[in-house]
Amino acid sequence: MSLPIHSPRLARRLGIAWTALVAAMLAAPVAVTIAGAFSRSEWYGLRSEGAPVQGTAALFTYVLGLWGHHLLRSAQIVAVVTPLALLLGAPAAYAFRRLPFPGSRWLEAAAVAPLAIPGIVLAVALIETAGGAPRFALLAAGHLVYTVPLVVRTVGNALHGHDPQLEDAARTLGAGRLAIVRRLVVPLLAPALVVSALLVLAVSWGEFNVSFLLATPRVQTFPAALYLTYTTNSFPVAAAATLVFLLPVVPVVAAIQALGGEELQRGAQP
Amino acid sequence: MAGRDPRRRALGAPPPAAAGFLLALPLLLFLVALVLWPVSHLVAAATHGPGAFRVVLAAGRYRTALVNSLLLSAAAAGAAVLLSLVPAWVLARERFAGRQLLRAAMALPLSFSGVLVGFLMVVMLGRIGAIPELVRWLTGRQLLAGAAYTPAGLFVAYLYFEVPRAVLTLEAAFRRFPPELDAAARTLGASTRERLLRVRLPLLAPALRASLALTFSASMGSFGVALILSRRFTVAPVEIYTELTGFSNDAVAGALCLLLALATLAADRLLAQGGRRWRRAGSGGGLGGLRQAAASGTRS
Repeated sequence: MSLPIHSPRLARRLGIAWTALVAAMLAAPVAVTIAGAFSRSEWYGLRSEGAPVQGTAALFTYVLGLWGHHLLRSAQIVAVVTPLALLLGAPAAYAFRRLPFPGSRWLEAAAVAPLAIPGIVLAVALIETAGGAPRFALLAAGHLVYTVPLVVRTVGNALHGHDPQLEDAARTLGAGRLAIVRRLVVPLLAPALVVSALLVLAVSWGEFNVSFLLATPRVQTFPAALYLTYTTNSFPVAAAATLVFLLPVVPVVAAIQALGGEELQRGAQP
Repeated sequence: MAGRDPRRRALGAPPPAAAGFLLALPLLLFLVALVLWPVSHLVAAATHGPGAFRVVLAAGRYRTALVNSLLLSAAAAGAAVLLSLVPAWVLARERFAGRQLLRAAMALPLSFSGVLVGFLMVVMLGRIGAIPELVRWLTGRQLLAGAAYTPAGLFVAYLYFEVPRAVLTLEAAFRRFPPELDAAARTLGASTRERLLRVRLPLLAPALRASLALTFSASMGSFGVALILSRRFTVAPVEIYTELTGFSNDAVAGALCLLLALATLAADRLLAQGGRRWRRAGSGGGLGGLRQAAASGTRS
């Protein structure tokens, strides 16, 4: 295939050059930020922050001291949300594909509808409804609303590609329902479940729009801490905190790409 | 099939529809408790007391914020899709060294929250950003310093998170584009222009609509970017936040929320369902139907 230019070879080269340029423009700010975290922090007058920080190790220790609590909260949220999203989404996706019931199409559409609703809207709705509930639970609920759809879609798409007759065959061969689920459905769906878990992890770890409004000074996620650091700290501290945020994201996104996950562009809200 | 298996029924298992309903029941309860119920509260808050909708829609800060959101999102979505056409095509159809690396560079920003994108813009185009500093070092002139905080800077920041979304959505569709049709049109004597207008564009129209819908709704909801960058130029999500936390004006915040959500959902439906002509009957609309829309237009 060629691009709509007359010389195919030139078109190919121009196209690749344009792609590389766009990718470079996306990567450049990240590269500058990483460089900032490893630059000599005394250039930026870190002493003014009340912590004489010299050298990279001291800088990261300082950042972890500032935001370690938020980091832990985010890790807890991800640890709670990931299994819950899988438990809520995967069985329902199986039902939608294999055991449809009256209204199941409608329920499936409703399950993915939150993806098209701005995060702040549902955050406001949650806070108006259950502002008195424990904030950790409210945060987890907000994250679940935006991650369950990804599981429903990923598992649903995977089931779409599998032959439902396999399960019928197993049944006629005498396998019970539990055995079919344990020895056929779950192994076949394992790649989709892994991709789902990674998607939930990536989205929940980076979620800000819902979390920021639901957060309290005591229960705050790491992206909310990033907002604080961007508005109050000097550049090296902000850059180092960003790097701490990126460390788990890079391998997770790479793994999603390698496993062919296609939902990340839908799931994460900027 | 499974439903008509008499042996299983004889074993006392529930009928498949009932089993399916039981499997989906937790999801149903979850959606009722955490989406439907809260949204009904939002509607109640917005319609409680004297017309919050009238206040929001009258000329003033709220209407300006909504209009700003709509215009900025539409402009950024259009520009992002135009910028993404060639990269998406190249990633989908060409094989070259470094392709995976370019693809990874496109995917990484997907997981960035808005505040992170805002910070990256400040790093590049803030008052002592990398680009103005570079320009100063090269030419000695002061240029682009603080550009991140202008409406144009906000537009560039929106492009930053929209381009990866558009590229990956279009790429998935372009991968399914059947090259045989294009070749057939050529052997039948179609010119490049004719092939572009009468083969490629109609086939790719649903994917273009889908990527526009996705980038537009991502921009409408974007909160963190404007929170970091916007000074005088206000957008709806930031206005909602200040209204709720600054003035605890639940009614106005609720009305703004509903209008923002309605505008986003309506645009999403319109864009995704407008392409019905090219789609197989029965595929769902909206974000839920994006994949089907992208796929059916290019599979035929």
